[in-house]
Amino acid sequence: MSKKPKGFFYLLALLPFLVLVVFYEIIPLLTVVFRSFISETGSITLDNYIAIFSKRLYRQAVVNSIILSAVSTLVGIIIAFFGAKAAHGSTQKLRNFFMGILNMTSNFAGLPLAFSYIILMGNVGVLVVFGKQFGIGFLADFNLYSLNGLILTYIYFQIPLATLLLIPVMDGLRPEWKEVVNLMSGSNLDYWFRVAVPNILPSVLGTTSVLFANAIAAYATAYALLQNNYSLLPIRISEQFVGDLVQRKEFGSALAVILMVLMILASLISNGISKRRKGERA
Amino acid sequence: MKKNKLNKVIIAAICIYLVLPLLLTFVYSIFSEWKSVLPEGPTLKFYVHLFSDTGFLLPILRTFIISVVPVIICTILILLAMYVITVHLPWLDKYMQILCTIPYAIQGIILAIGVLSLYSGLPEPLSNRIVMLILTYCIVVLPYLYRGIKNSLNSINAALLLETAQVLGSSRFHAFFAIIVPNIVPGISVSVMLSVSILFGDFVIVNIIAGSYYTTAQIYLYRLLFESGQTSSAVVCILFALTLLMTNGALSLYSRLNKKLLVEKEE
Repeated sequence: MSKKPKGFFYLLALLPFLVLVVFYEIIPLLTVVFRSFISETGSITLDNYIAIFSKRLYRQAVVNSIILSAVSTLVGIIIAFFGAKAAHGSTQKLRNFFMGILNMTSNFAGLPLAFSYIILMGNVGVLVVFGKQFGIGFLADFNLYSLNGLILTYIYFQIPLATLLLIPVMDGLRPEWKEVVNLMSGSNLDYWFRVAVPNILPSVLGTTSVLFANAIAAYATAYALLQNNYSLLPIRISEQFVGDLVQRKEFGSALAVILMVLMILASLISNGISKRRKGERA
Repeated sequence: MKKNKLNKVIIAAICIYLVLPLLLTFVYSIFSEWKSVLPEGPTLKFYVHLFSDTGFLLPILRTFIISVVPVIICTILILLAMYVITVHLPWLDKYMQILCTIPYAIQGIILAIGVLSLYSGLPEPLSNRIVMLILTYCIVVLPYLYRGIKNSLNSINAALLLETAQVLGSSRFHAFFAIIVPNIVPGISVSVMLSVSILFGDFVIVNIIAGSYYTTAQIYLYRLLFESGQTSSAVVCILFALTLLMTNGALSLYSRLNKKLLVEKEE
């Protein structure tokens, strides 16, 4: 009997980790979810969610966030696709150089990125001045402090991440497959649409959902460019908890839940499509 | 041959697109004026000024402290938990993995508002912003540190080493911390450096939890954005150089370790 306490002594070593995870990961997360269903008077309600979709300001935040994330993801993945394809088909030396640039610039995000774009494309930005001097209209008139400006900066941080994720996927395409298609007198298009794309589609979709989640929760870049003056989900969320406005934690929690649901949806959709593809082939 | 050229063009275009903002930010920081097409008056005064200004050096120091402390705490906690799981309760491994993967999926902003709204009304030290920040950062780096430690444990075959040590008469606790841990330190150091560099670049969490309590380099930069363009661009370049040093340090360490392992295996 006297052996028992000594036998469980080791559980003490597990305790600090559990305390950390329970109190700073699990409980905060659950609180956000529970609080989103609580009214300001303390009763259970769906009002917070109804308010989000009935007030223009917040509906706009959801719509803007989805547009910004979807467009930047789409453009990012297309450029990354061609980048990864080029890396796949080039010499080891060039490829290493390219990966080095991608790795380096993948660190360039958030405030520094926003600032760099202010210098480049802001009201007196270097490229804007350049555009004015030489009469290049779209550079001279570009407004960085708008949805277009946000899309431009978001695309920048999507490209290195997307390309780094897609290069190993492209490497999974074996050169023999193409030879076989050509032997069977199939064209290059046949190879890409019937062999290559179906093969890499699940990974490409997975990458897409990573990019979407990355963009929809991004905060620093948009905050540095537009502070609270543009309606995006992460900005509206943080506003409910900090800053000059009256704090509305319950409402902010509901916005946060919407953000989480959008991220989960994105990954479910990409999983769903790739599963259906597999089903078709089976 | 034609195809090769096309590949080169695509890679060159992407590289130029990615490097251009960085390069121009750097050029902007070493000239005193850039009002027309070309910059004028090369100078290093912005850097000289920053490196002699405690208003900048202190935030840098604070950023290092707030990036390193959570990583140390988190590493120790994971190692202790890993000891229990590897030695005594292997069936818990699955659950630990889930707990350590969740922070990947919940983004920084949700974690930050969750922690802030939960503890801001409570008594000290729970409501202390620095405590909140450090512990939230522990959760942020949890997935990276867990992966690093777990992979290192697998690669040295911890279970076999422990058994051997026990056969030779060592206690299990002693064996884990005197034999296993020193052996995985090189492997862990890569993910430690990566984690430090992630926290080093954080703005979201520190701005929400401790923006007006603890001025890190990122908070300093944010305030500077509305004041001086040139000084801001110098700060951006310095921070970027520091981040590169950390991540490249981690990468070169990693490749050196791999080479060493290969050589050892061949021997």
